[in-house]
Amino acid sequence: MDSPSTFQSAESGTAFREGWRDFLGVTPGVAAWGLVTGVAMVQSGLTVLQAAGFSILAFAGSAQLATAPLMATGVPVWVIFLTALAVNLRFVIYSALVRDDLRAEPWRRRLLLGYLTSDMGFALYVRRLRRDPEWPQRAAYFAGLAYANVAVWHGSTLLGVLAASWFPREWGLELAGTLALLALWIPLCAKRSGQVGSAVAVIVGVAAYHWPLRLGLLAAILAGSLAAVATERLQARSAQVSR
Amino acid sequence: MSADLPTVAPEVWTWLAIGAVALTTFLTRCSFILLGDRVRLPPIVDQALRCAPAGILAAIVIPDLLLTHGKLHLAVDNFRLMAALVASGYFVLTRSMLGTILVGMAAFLLLRWGIG
Repeated sequence: MDSPSTFQSAESGTAFREGWRDFLGVTPGVAAWGLVTGVAMVQSGLTVLQAAGFSILAFAGSAQLATAPLMATGVPVWVIFLTALAVNLRFVIYSALVRDDLRAEPWRRRLLLGYLTSDMGFALYVRRLRRDPEWPQRAAYFAGLAYANVAVWHGSTLLGVLAASWFPREWGLELAGTLALLALWIPLCAKRSGQVGSAVAVIVGVAAYHWPLRLGLLAAILAGSLAAVATERLQARSAQVSR
Repeated sequence: MSADLPTVAPEVWTWLAIGAVALTTFLTRCSFILLGDRVRLPPIVDQALRCAPAGILAAIVIPDLLLTHGKLHLAVDNFRLMAALVASGYFVLTRSMLGTILVGMAAFLLLRWGIG
């Protein structure tokens, strides 16, 4: 059902440009992330065309970094699917939170903007909304963030993909992608559930490393997630009991 | 491993895998838009989705750093691990993604070309 969009007014143009500018403010970090992802994808074994296509279609840095090495080593598609699903699960939350704000837009735009959600874009969006939670132009602001993200991300990823072919694969530059994921992981270990979940994931991951089809990776993902959730719920329960 | 696969060029499988990943992006990011207005996120699921990523990312990143050729390699000559430790320390201090990558790669390349 098509509903009137909020994008028609002059205020929405201003809001869009504000989103665009706000995102460009964080370009260095995002560009580094994109560059590294481009290099890592090619160094993991993807061709320039595959890496570029991958980035445009998937538009998800951490999932790309996690699955590119799997593709080059012939891991089955269903294992890759589940791994990418696990890495992208956090976006389900973003989707739940953003859904209400996009409600006024036509369904095609809702899906497009939803698809363009990102960690950085979402963080900026939340920060801006704290000042003005009922801002009527927030969908346009979200779009400005999203489109700027596309520009920065694809520009830097493409650069990385092209530059990667200058470096020999023996240099091991895909480590840069690992370091980027490390930077995403460290803040999550501030909580006890993150620490326990990570410890369990590592133990299972190392123990099951030799399983065929990289199933050890999936087992580690599952074990780590369950351990984290169990820790969180145990903590919540003991907090209730002690009250 | 390739014995049970049909005789299709490996290129096709790569593009299938790319499509599969793109599908997960679409399913997760558009999940609530697709599900419509009446579906709400139960608090339990919300809680699970928030704390699971730590374990997920650890599973993806850490074991590869600790192992060399499938064996545990917790030594100074595991250059990738050393570089990751240096990078982690830098990140804890500065919270800079860009700096972390640069410092970590610099450490890695210095170790490889200086010693290895």
